[in-house]
Amino acid sequence: MHMVGARERGDETALVTIEDLSARLAMAENALAEESRRADLLNRIAAAIGAGSDLSEVVQTVVDGGVELTGAQFGAFFYNLVDADGESYTLYTLSGAPRSAFADFPMPRNTAVFAPTFSGAGLVRSDDITKDPRYGHNAPHHGMPTGHLPVRSYLAAPVVSGSGEVLGGLFFGHAQTGMFTPRLEPLLHGLSAQAAVAIDNVRLGEAARRDLQQRRRVEAALAESESRFRMIANTLPTLCWEADLEGRVTWRNQRWHDYVGVESYLPGAFWYDVDDAQARVEAQGRWREAQATGGPLELVLPLRGRDGVARPFLTRVEAARDAVTDEIVRWMGVNLDIAAETAAHERLQFALQAGRLGSWELDVETRDYTASDLCKANYGRRPDETFGFHDLVAAVHDEDRDRMRAAIEHAIATGADYDIEYRAIHPSGDVRWVHARGRVAEKADHGGVRRMAGVSLDITERKRAEERQRLLLNELNHRVKNTLATVQSIASQTLRSAADTRAFRDAFESRLLALSQTHNLLTDANWEAASLHAILVMELSPHAGGRQGGGGRFVLESDRDIRLNPKAAVALGMALHELATNAVKYGALSTPSGRVLVRSRVSGADLVLEWIEQGGPTVVRPSRRGFGGRLLEQGLAGELAGRVVLTYDPAGLSCRMQLPMRALEPTE
Amino acid sequence: MSNVPDLAGLRVLVVEDEMMVSMLIEDMLGDLGCTVVGPASRLDEAIALANASELDCAVLDVNLGGQPIFPLADILRARGAPFAFATGYGDAGLRDVDKGSLVLQKPFRETDLARILGELRAAAGV
Repeated sequence: MHMVGARERGDETALVTIEDLSARLAMAENALAEESRRADLLNRIAAAIGAGSDLSEVVQTVVDGGVELTGAQFGAFFYNLVDADGESYTLYTLSGAPRSAFADFPMPRNTAVFAPTFSGAGLVRSDDITKDPRYGHNAPHHGMPTGHLPVRSYLAAPVVSGSGEVLGGLFFGHAQTGMFTPRLEPLLHGLSAQAAVAIDNVRLGEAARRDLQQRRRVEAALAESESRFRMIANTLPTLCWEADLEGRVTWRNQRWHDYVGVESYLPGAFWYDVDDAQARVEAQGRWREAQATGGPLELVLPLRGRDGVARPFLTRVEAARDAVTDEIVRWMGVNLDIAAETAAHERLQFALQAGRLGSWELDVETRDYTASDLCKANYGRRPDETFGFHDLVAAVHDEDRDRMRAAIEHAIATGADYDIEYRAIHPSGDVRWVHARGRVAEKADHGGVRRMAGVSLDITERKRAEERQRLLLNELNHRVKNTLATVQSIASQTLRSAADTRAFRDAFESRLLALSQTHNLLTDANWEAASLHAILVMELSPHAGGRQGGGGRFVLESDRDIRLNPKAAVALGMALHELATNAVKYGALSTPSGRVLVRSRVSGADLVLEWIEQGGPTVVRPSRRGFGGRLLEQGLAGELAGRVVLTYDPAGLSCRMQLPMRALEPTE
Repeated sequence: MSNVPDLAGLRVLVVEDEMMVSMLIEDMLGDLGCTVVGPASRLDEAIALANASELDCAVLDVNLGGQPIFPLADILRARGAPFAFATGYGDAGLRDVDKGSLVLQKPFRETDLARILGELRAAAGV
């Protein structure tokens, strides 16, 4: 042991002689005491380090302990901070010198002297650092800057954490040379190791504290967020609530209380607990589905307010999930009062129904076409039948399809209103007229038309009425023009046979009146037909008394009445008028005793109408055929495709008309 | 009457189902010195007459008791016999193929008929 000790201390105890035993003993005792003191000191330092929780306090204890342990004049701990330039050391704490002693100097740099410490390579001890070969190589100072604390004896150790990170370095100095013995090296190793553990511990503690603080901040933020949510939820104009996994409501916002009334519900009630039993069952069913799928649910729920009125609420229920596990933790619900919208919708539906208006919507890009039941009906489709855009186009009549396509494309391209009438072919083959109108319901992002909405109306009846009216007008025009031509003809022929203006006027007016009366009969029957008997009565009754008055001058024998079409009625009316006028002026009715027998019978396919005058003046055949004769024999026979024979029997004029029934009867 | 064309001897088929109008046209044609072919009041009668008679031109009522005159118009057109329609409808009741035909709007004056007949005669090259 002596040998070892002597060898160890050989350099420093050259003067010790073997004889100087007492001195050696005293030295050994001193050394022992010194070792013991240092061991105690180290223990105290260790205890202090262990007890400390504040980093600066721990580091101060380490540096103070180091100064005491090594007998240095001053000590320091520098943090190892590697910045972008690769080197930076921050003074952390000092012992044995005021902090101001370093204030004017830059931080120690990664010089040859400092490098082993800050890189963690190992301990540096020098009896005179200024003589060290590593000293004084680095610009600009080439050694300690002027005014630096005088350092000759130098001792430095890296402080390396358990993870291998160099936390910093412990530095000790003394103005005199040879102050730090090699014996200090293991002590300093121990001290730096303890410092590293202490710094690690404190850092861990601080990290834990920071975590805790962070957590408290998060909790506070959560609480803040929760309270903000409640505040917002309570000021929302919609009803909202939270429910547990079973659907029991655990929280309701102010608006809910305001609307439903606190007294109106029981604790533990389910969100779907409403008065309307059917709605409740339906909501419960939907709720089961939502619970099973975890998906959101949307339905209309009638909620009774504290005023006793149940209103429809659009209700949406959604699961709130744990952010980490994604498990459903509760359900959130919103009830939006849609009474006004529902009423408006119902009014619209009523208006559409009442007006027999179908409604439709068209998505311009996808050509997705939605038609209401009434709209489908306008194309002969049942409510459950699909009816898309292509079905619509296909349903349009071939002759109208291009026009319809062009109109809708024009509306889409320009945003103009779509307004068109076209024929639609029903699956049954029926052709119906449809009036479709539409306009832009939604603009696309690029400015074009995104969606069109409109109505459709079956206008077949209107179209038929219009067509009837058009035909009627044409027919009326035709009839008027023909009547005018007839009047022109009457005037012209009357003029040809009239002896003078007075005679013309009498004859013309009389013929015009006869024509007009036949028209009256036809008008009464919607211009469809007139009765033969009615025409006979009309034409003959004014002359029943003959020129001298007194009735019974006409005898009518008829097996049955027949209906005459308008042409036949007008022709026969005029013919009978000519016969009657002639009888009154020149024939049987011009004398007091004469009379006229009118016989009418249907014989086979013909009507045989006979006009027989008796008891009048002797008849003489006229020298030329007058208007009446021509009308009867030529006009009437020609127009009604029959035979008319006038016989100028001296005993009385007779006229036999044989007319085919098919030319007389209306063509139903 | 100086500007009335010379229509003497022109053979005109008359088809008209209203007896009074038919008689009027007959009178007018007589005044103008034309020869009346017909008049006919029914389509079958008119076609038979047209086929059996020599005629230069025709005045046709468009509607014969609900029956259109067009089959006869087609026959006459095929034969190259010019014709005019006499109608109360204007040209509204005409087929597209007949839209360019001469039309006498009822009622018409004798001078109107004379003018139309002048055109028909020119077309017939008589």
